Amino acid sequence: MTEATSPLPTSSTRVCTRTVMDGSDPDIVFDEEGVSNHWHEYQALMATQPDAGQKKARLEKLLADIKADGAGKDYDCVIGLSGGVDSSYVTWLAKQWDLRPLIVHFDNGWNNELAVRNIENICKKLGFELHTFVMDWEEFRDLQRSYFKASVVDLEVPTDHMISGALYRLAAQHKLKYMLSGLNFATESVMPPSWNYAKFDLENIRNIHKKFGTKPLKKLPALGVWQKAWYQLIRGIHSEAVLDLIDYNKAEAKALLIRELDWVDYGGKHYESLFTRFYQGYILPRKFGVDKRKAHLSNLILSGQMTRDEALRELQQPTYDEVLQERDKAYVRKKLGFTESEFEAVLNLPNQRHEVYGTDKTQRERYFRIVGALGKAMRAVGLKR
Amino acid sequence: MAGLSRMRRIRVIPVLTIDRERRLVKTVAFGKRTYIGDPINAVRIFNTKMVDEILLLDIDASVDGRGPSFEAIGDIVEEAFLPMGYGGGIRSVDDAAQLFRLGLEKVVLSSEALANPGLVTAIAERFGAQAVAVSLPYAKKLLGGQQVLTKSGKSKTGHAPVEAAKAMVAAGAGEIILYSIDRDGKWSGYDLATVTAVAEAIDVPVVACGGAAGLGDFLPAVQSGASAVAASSLFVYRAQNQGVLISYPDEADLKEQLFQKLN
Repeated sequence: MTEATSPLPTSSTRVCTRTVMDGSDPDIVFDEEGVSNHWHEYQALMATQPDAGQKKARLEKLLADIKADGAGKDYDCVIGLSGGVDSSYVTWLAKQWDLRPLIVHFDNGWNNELAVRNIENICKKLGFELHTFVMDWEEFRDLQRSYFKASVVDLEVPTDHMISGALYRLAAQHKLKYMLSGLNFATESVMPPSWNYAKFDLENIRNIHKKFGTKPLKKLPALGVWQKAWYQLIRGIHSEAVLDLIDYNKAEAKALLIRELDWVDYGGKHYESLFTRFYQGYILPRKFGVDKRKAHLSNLILSGQMTRDEALRELQQPTYDEVLQERDKAYVRKKLGFTESEFEAVLNLPNQRHEVYGTDKTQRERYFRIVGALGKAMRAVGLKR
Repeated sequence: MAGLSRMRRIRVIPVLTIDRERRLVKTVAFGKRTYIGDPINAVRIFNTKMVDEILLLDIDASVDGRGPSFEAIGDIVEEAFLPMGYGGGIRSVDDAAQLFRLGLEKVVLSSEALANPGLVTAIAERFGAQAVAVSLPYAKKLLGGQQVLTKSGKSKTGHAPVEAAKAMVAAGAGEIILYSIDRDGKWSGYDLATVTAVAEAIDVPVVACGGAAGLGDFLPAVQSGASAVAASSLFVYRAQNQGVLISYPDEADLKEQLFQKLN
């Protein structure tokens, strides 16, 4: 893509004085000292977090509950393993905690060699069995192509949605109630709303696919409002962000994984997938003026894992090797089945908001009305306080 | 480095099978199929792992009575900077020529070769015997003995593996891939007796295929006369009864458990 098609917003020159967030987040607000809302929101969030003692108690209770629930079953919890640092570390922790996780890897056709090697080493060294959820590539490709044609910002919705769908489905199949996730405040709480989209909006996914897709989606693990309600309320499955219950330091976690599990660093957050590398390192900056590293690095600054100067220096570097970017571009294009001119054309389409394709807002409202009414009814008959 | 240069190397070959929709599948005894993903990405990962060679087989082509899906094969071969062989539906010298133009190093014939050995001869004459392998999938017969089966294991030839191998080598085949259908996807080790019998009967390389469950299975196959070893389940599953995960042994492990134990 040429420079002219992807100007960065000019307001991006103003940078938060405590983080590295800037005007490339259109919703950013600065106080009189030039501190952005992201810093303030992080402080507010942290103020609501339990202290070390409470975290420890919660973790102990959680582990006891998981083990009790898993008694007599083949496994006691589900962990989604991508081969990246967060999920790898959760898997390592599970071993230290004497859990018996069902390890699930989600294969959407974009794994790279480092990811599969990390997964292999982790399972081998920790003695865990691997279950792989292989997406039907032809269907998944059709969905990914639809997102390119829709020209919306969050091209990761299909993957993120289906990963969760697959995990819930497997948890239900194995009658497990606990899923351990690698999500965490320490490295993932800063994220401007306009840089991504609601991952569980199945209506938006279906609408985008209906408009731009060419083959029916039959095999994808859907997780919309009603599926999620069924899994969570009826089956009692919940996801636990266990990294929030420990003192999670990413650099230390990496060092440990390298030392203990022959884990290999792939550089960049989520670069274990070639698609994600290209999306975050090429499409987002060039097409949407978004450099996600700013959010990731700001998070590390806020959680005391990096200095602001270090982050600013890192942002001077290209998102990743530029020769590799071009190679990735050719591969992504080919794998998605676009010709060169088609691919340039979709990359140059005017950007669209996800909402223009319709959302699950009415479904969610109906859901909350039902849940609200149920709660009221249960309180009325004394089933719930 | 003298020690290294003397060390004998054995080709360790992942076999990837695609179906009529160009989906990567893994069979058990040429029957039950499991979908394992996108062949392009799988080949890309094997390529990074620096495997010696890959064999790509379209297991529906001869059953469907169609030729190779050249475009799909081309997309896959493009990701491989390693020698790659292709088999499935090759019915003419032109088919073979087109495959070589796509960048394949070797064509693998099977159903058509057994019905028409002259095709092996014609391709070998034009491109050299090293570029023509013949795959002989075989299984036990009900009343004892073994026979080669074609059309993805559906069609009986009545020929024993040794007899078929001799005929194919006489026709010009530069390599015989000896594929045990009974052991396909079973993780039960190679059929060493048949490897021995065939290797003794012919003077071209024999590739043992079907049954490998681990690195430890390679050495006995080579000691039985195989020049190379091939496997698929082993390289596409994390382990038996576990999830799909592309893997390939490290050079260090291959040296320790295979190469250094040869000679």
